[in-house]
Amino acid sequence: MAEIRPAWSEQFEPGKLGRVAALGLPAPISKEWAWGGATGAGVKVAVIDSGIEASHPAVGGVSDGVILEYSPDSPDADEDGIVATPGPHDDLYGHGTACAAIIRAAAPDRELYSVRVLGARLTGKGIVFAAGLQWAIANGMNVVNLSLSTSKQDYFAVFHEIVDDAYFHNVMLVSAINNVPSPSYPSQYAGVFSVAAHDGKDPFSFDYNPSPPVEFGAPGIDLEVAWQQGSFIEATGNSFAAPHIAGVVTKILSKHPGLTPFQMKTILAALADNAHTDI
Amino acid sequence: MSDRERDVLREVAELAANMGPALTPAAHLELLKSITTAAMSLFGAAACSLALLHEDQEELEFYVASGAGAEEVVGMRVPLGQGLAGYVVSSGQPIAIEDVTRDPRFAAAFAAGTGYVPKSILAMPLETDREMLGVIEVLDRRTRGAGLEGSGEMEMLSLFANLAALAIENSRVFADLGRTLFEAAGAAAATADLTEALEQVARSAPAPSAELAELAALFNRLALVGPEERRLATRIVTEVVSFVSSGRWQR
Repeated sequence: MAEIRPAWSEQFEPGKLGRVAALGLPAPISKEWAWGGATGAGVKVAVIDSGIEASHPAVGGVSDGVILEYSPDSPDADEDGIVATPGPHDDLYGHGTACAAIIRAAAPDRELYSVRVLGARLTGKGIVFAAGLQWAIANGMNVVNLSLSTSKQDYFAVFHEIVDDAYFHNVMLVSAINNVPSPSYPSQYAGVFSVAAHDGKDPFSFDYNPSPPVEFGAPGIDLEVAWQQGSFIEATGNSFAAPHIAGVVTKILSKHPGLTPFQMKTILAALADNAHTDI
Repeated sequence: MSDRERDVLREVAELAANMGPALTPAAHLELLKSITTAAMSLFGAAACSLALLHEDQEELEFYVASGAGAEEVVGMRVPLGQGLAGYVVSSGQPIAIEDVTRDPRFAAAFAAGTGYVPKSILAMPLETDREMLGVIEVLDRRTRGAGLEGSGEMEMLSLFANLAALAIENSRVFADLGRTLFEAAGAAAATADLTEALEQVARSAPAPSAELAELAALFNRLALVGPEERRLATRIVTEVVSFVSSGRWQR
């Protein structure tokens, strides 16, 4: 008689289960172990934002990119009404350039991709954000910086599904939380690395918040950041804190490829400024 | 649902659409202006303004402003695809920039529109959990260095943004009362048939007629003047109504 197995249990049958790398963590975990000597090499990073100015001296070039726009009437639109234009493009505001430069400062050898989702129209904004995330997952990105959010409840389920998909594909989604009292998606989901600005300036010092939804604190106040047309400006925002964590994650991943998001969070939490071994 | 019942619903929708503007909370603009003035005062800022997303979702229009350059900036439109205000509305993220004149495109664009070119800007999205409405901007605040830096300032401005967003959403409900009422009723209906019928009415509900809306806006303004003035207005309107209904007035 054939053995009856509950659904999903088949993959755990003897001989079928894949092997996974045991995470050989030192005790305590040190920054030297985590990213000492790492440059971001071999890690693909997407900045989902306003575009990136590839020629900006602080950016150091962009490997590739895509512009995503909501234009359901276009003959090139996909079933969600999105038109994708691959290739180089400008930064509309300067913000994507700022994020890209912060990541590069931490991980100069990363492979950088610009996914431009902010544009001239707000129509379909949530769908375009979602398409940006799907592009990053489909194109094998390892780290995604998402310094944008929506408070629109209609997108709760859409983003939840995509964030789970990214999590199961080991894509590290680093998302800035906004300051508005209402919820913001996808930054409040457990599957992302949600980040807000703290007072520090050291790009390799960060906090772990024991009272989420916002999990990490990183520099984002009164920073000198890259801006459009080769300029630099002084700026404040949680959206500049997220790329600091994205940069650190990229660095760690280049030294320890194959980490899962939960392993990465374990490492970050252990290396946080407010982490203590005597608690 | 019978044709007769549908007709009644349609009439109710039309009535609601025409009544909406008259029910708009009095002093809506004054309320928003008081929010920008309060924010300006609290931040010790040179100016504070509200820009709202235009219907086409491609432009922001400055709607209310207090302080330096206020008169010039109200009514000004900026494309969503450029500038700090556009970034804030597109990304949903607040931002503060010091010395905006170092942004080469910014300075020229802003100076061309108003007489006042700020050095610093703190900008926050105006949104509810239903929609993005626009942005509130504080120009040249003096709270920097006063212990409120960074996220403290943003948290404070977010309280003003929230107030303004609720006030704007509230007044918009009345501007399109017919549609709003029936959409709400459709969402709450117990059966799919009734939902469909109510949503159909909502879709076909007329916008308030421009003349009635104008008249309603005048009545709203009358609510703000003194009792003597209101009595005078009532007498004039009564005379006008009696004159046009007497048949003595011919177009």
